Amino acid sequence: MAYPITELVNEDATLVSRRCWTDPGVYALEKRGIFGRAWLFLGHESQLRQPGDFVQAYMCETPIILSRGQDRRLYACIDSCSHRGLPVCRADHGNTKRFICPYHNWSYSVEGELVAIPQENAVRNKPDKSRLGLKRVPRLETWRGLVFGSFDPDIMPLEEYLGDMRFYLDAFLGRFPDGIEFIGAPHRWLLDANWKLPVENQLGDVNHGAFLHSAIIPREAQDRIEELGHSVVTAPGHGATFRLMPPDAAVDEVAWGMEGMGGMLGGAPVQEYLREVQARAAERVGPLRARMKGLTYGVYPNLSFLWSNASFKVSHPRGPGRVEYWSWAVVPADAPDEIKRVLRTNYSSFFGPGGILEQEDSEVWVQQFRGCNIDFADDRPCFYGLGLGEEKPHPELPGLVSVTANEFYARHFFARWRDDLLAVEGRP
Amino acid sequence: MSDFALSTSPGQQRQLEAFYYREARLLDNRQYRQWLALLSEDILYRLPSRVNVQVDNRQRGDEDMISVERELEGADSMGCPIREETYIHLVLRVERAFKINSWSENPPARTRRLVGNVELMTHGGDEYSVLSNFHLYYARPGGASFLYSGQRRDVLLAAGEGYKIRRREVILDYGDIALPTLGLLF
Ligand code: FES
Ligand SMILES: [Fe+2]
Repeated sequence: MAYPITELVNEDATLVSRRCWTDPGVYALEKRGIFGRAWLFLGHESQLRQPGDFVQAYMCETPIILSRGQDRRLYACIDSCSHRGLPVCRADHGNTKRFICPYHNWSYSVEGELVAIPQENAVRNKPDKSRLGLKRVPRLETWRGLVFGSFDPDIMPLEEYLGDMRFYLDAFLGRFPDGIEFIGAPHRWLLDANWKLPVENQLGDVNHGAFLHSAIIPREAQDRIEELGHSVVTAPGHGATFRLMPPDAAVDEVAWGMEGMGGMLGGAPVQEYLREVQARAAERVGPLRARMKGLTYGVYPNLSFLWSNASFKVSHPRGPGRVEYWSWAVVPADAPDEIKRVLRTNYSSFFGPGGILEQEDSEVWVQQFRGCNIDFADDRPCFYGLGLGEEKPHPELPGLVSVTANEFYARHFFARWRDDLLAVEGRP
Repeated sequence: MSDFALSTSPGQQRQLEAFYYREARLLDNRQYRQWLALLSEDILYRLPSRVNVQVDNRQRGDEDMISVERELEGADSMGCPIREETYIHLVLRVERAFKINSWSENPPARTRRLVGNVELMTHGGDEYSVLSNFHLYYARPGGASFLYSGQRRDVLLAAGEGYKIRRREVILDYGDIALPTLGLLF
């Protein structure tokens, strides 16, 4: 890599080099410095109810099988046969007793143990199968049903890693009597962009709304968002944006789900359900968080949560210039099936690969990658200085807090990103 | 639905095909408002998600084992379709196309679609269930162009000399979604 890392992101992270998104050497360092050392989101427990249930996941480019074992515990293994390396699982999700490798039919239990080697009987020295299971992801932890894995055996506990993000995540997850569930398989689509571009967008870039999305979002609606909007960084790389509604705001104005297409068009039973959730929100999450109406969230490095349109998203790198973006719709776990089917449309059609709104975002990520993959401009890094130093502690809200136009969420992200790369630079 | 299409008269078949040819021409010519006029206002427009499901061993040897239906997360499933739209959504998509800041189609995509394999499957009252296939070529500046391939499962409503579209389900033949958007009017 031709660029010292300290030249990619300056001290206060107000200047970020285009090479951060385009350079193969930077990407190689990201794999070790970030994806090898962070907690990475794998899935949600609602996808794994019965023993034998499994879903596919990724940790960076490494395919993972996340499963519920016969002992009802969760397992995460690297999907690569111990014999010659083939992936042993081809389905996106399902329920099984065995994963059978196509090549020579070694078979693995749902927990990843090697169960049978068909060729074993024909040789005298039997391999020790107990040492030839699928490689386990060294750390696996859950919080509120969210499942994370880490390749770093010594990483801090997940709850500590999430830190004060739990306060903000719980404002949503804890709002519903039985929490949330993921509905359906993730929509996954490939874009010619760097993985950090969707992440940064979802971490706090609220103020592009009135511009990029003005074909759909009216200026007055965006003004209201910005007027009530707060942007929070709980720790570098973790951020939340939300509206804090006035204490006397009408239930319909505050209630999650009412502003989505499902809530608007879903009819009386859906709206009654949403009002009922809101009516008891203060009991469940306290009066302050009951007034929260979230926008975008990000958990370092690549998990995003779009509260307003009820979607969890993960940005999986596929090289510096390619990303596989996954998104799931989430619905309240206790809602009847008919209501879940309506509420999932708060996400679909507007977001995801067919999204009326998100098609503009994905266009921007592709164009931003294109605009950064250029030469003769290394002396003109991208400007990240809006609102420098204007973020402050807040009497009631944990973290540093500011207006949504302040780009501190991105500065903190890139400062952490730089330090993570520095920590492994020059080391094997 | 039976495996066999109804035997239609040449006149009826021509009328159905003419309807789809005109629809294709309107969309490729970006005459989206005229296209809207082809819709019944109670339209449900759906695009199921397509997933890689586990092959069920117990279904070995059966057609069901590899049926297309098993791969679809459609409107009636507890999965998550990619699009589930009403007339309101489609009006939004159409009106968006005529705004200068619909950036993902600025400049507008160049499309050309071929519609074929038009089969009338059932007919009851004034409703016609019709299958058709399409290939849609899509190009924008930047060097990449894309092929969208799919089946449309329609319910058409007899209206005057022609039809209105009351239901449309679009089954797209993607393996991975390596397409810039599934937000087009298919
Ligand atoms: S490669 Fe998996 S069994 Fe041989
Ligand atoms: Fe956006």
